[in-house]
Amino acid sequence: MRNPMKCSKIQKKFSAYQDKELKPQEQEEVRSHLLNCEACREEFAELERVWQTLEGLEEIHPDPWFYRQIVRKIREPREQGLLPTLQHVFRLSRAPVAVSIILIIGILAGTYVGSILARFDLFPFQSNPVSDSSGVLASMRVFDPAPPGTLAEGYYRMVSY
Amino acid sequence: MDKEIPSEDLMARIAEGDDSAFGILVHRHRTSVLNLIYRFIGDRTQAKDLAQEVFLKVWQSAQNYEPKAKFTTWIYRITANLCFNELKSARRKKWYSFNRSDEDGEHTFEETLADSTPSAETILLEKERSRQISDALQSLPENQRMALILKRYDDLSYHEIAQIIGCSVSAVESLLFRAKRALQEKLKNFEK
Repeated sequence: MRNPMKCSKIQKKFSAYQDKELKPQEQEEVRSHLLNCEACREEFAELERVWQTLEGLEEIHPDPWFYRQIVRKIREPREQGLLPTLQHVFRLSRAPVAVSIILIIGILAGTYVGSILARFDLFPFQSNPVSDSSGVLASMRVFDPAPPGTLAEGYYRMVSY
Repeated sequence: MDKEIPSEDLMARIAEGDDSAFGILVHRHRTSVLNLIYRFIGDRTQAKDLAQEVFLKVWQSAQNYEPKAKFTTWIYRITANLCFNELKSARRKKWYSFNRSDEDGEHTFEETLADSTPSAETILLEKERSRQISDALQSLPENQRMALILKRYDDLSYHEIAQIIGCSVSAVESLLFRAKRALQEKLKNFEK
């Protein structure tokens, strides 16, 4: 006789029942339920059918040289291991390495060119620091009683003789 | 004859530098390891490469090997970890799904010769069925797939599967329950 509550509970145990992983008491409970419930019997038969279907998955066989290839890998760990590792590291870090190299070359070239320009006073936008400071000092003299280059300065020069 | 020597003892001999013990061990476990990988990954060529990696790791671990669990459990744990890592790196590279070309189902020349007794039609049908089953398996989440393969094809107990995958027995029960449900849905129209 079908009892949906009971059937649902039993069906949750089908997988473990099929694998014979239930406790003996539970195993017996499912078995006797299956004897009396046609719906669950069909459900379990479907599970068994799918389980059988999986048998159709092909089995593959190792190549005859399988063992020899392993032995070769064991005997040549350095040749086989180091070079690919380096290649792998290089492959991964290709972009950062290129950017770093370009930056280093740029810094070195800039320093070299800069030192040459500085040596020959060839900086295109550089102003003379000495003339700069004297210009500042001269401009400060506008606050003098007789700023340089004015009539007042000429008058003072005349009277001071 | 080599069946008489337990794999755990062979490992002890390998640790002492006995190459022939390693040969026996590889010969004994190569087909099961290879097929576990093949069923999980679904790619013949990759499976062969990874199976070699497994035995390479066995060789490298021989010195530190302690027979705490059954040897098959130990070697399957190495295999499962390699499979999971392979899928992880394949996902990173994003080429795995595209690379599952027709080559996956190809037989080598020797295998084709060996299998040449049934008619071409039968072979094609079997290959098609195998491909459908493989596709259904590949669609399962990784842990469900591994648990199901270990149960279906190696008939391991839940306890052993739990040790291999690294989870509890109840988690294995749940993984298998869900895997079987999903397969039932995917293979319901499959004709034997």
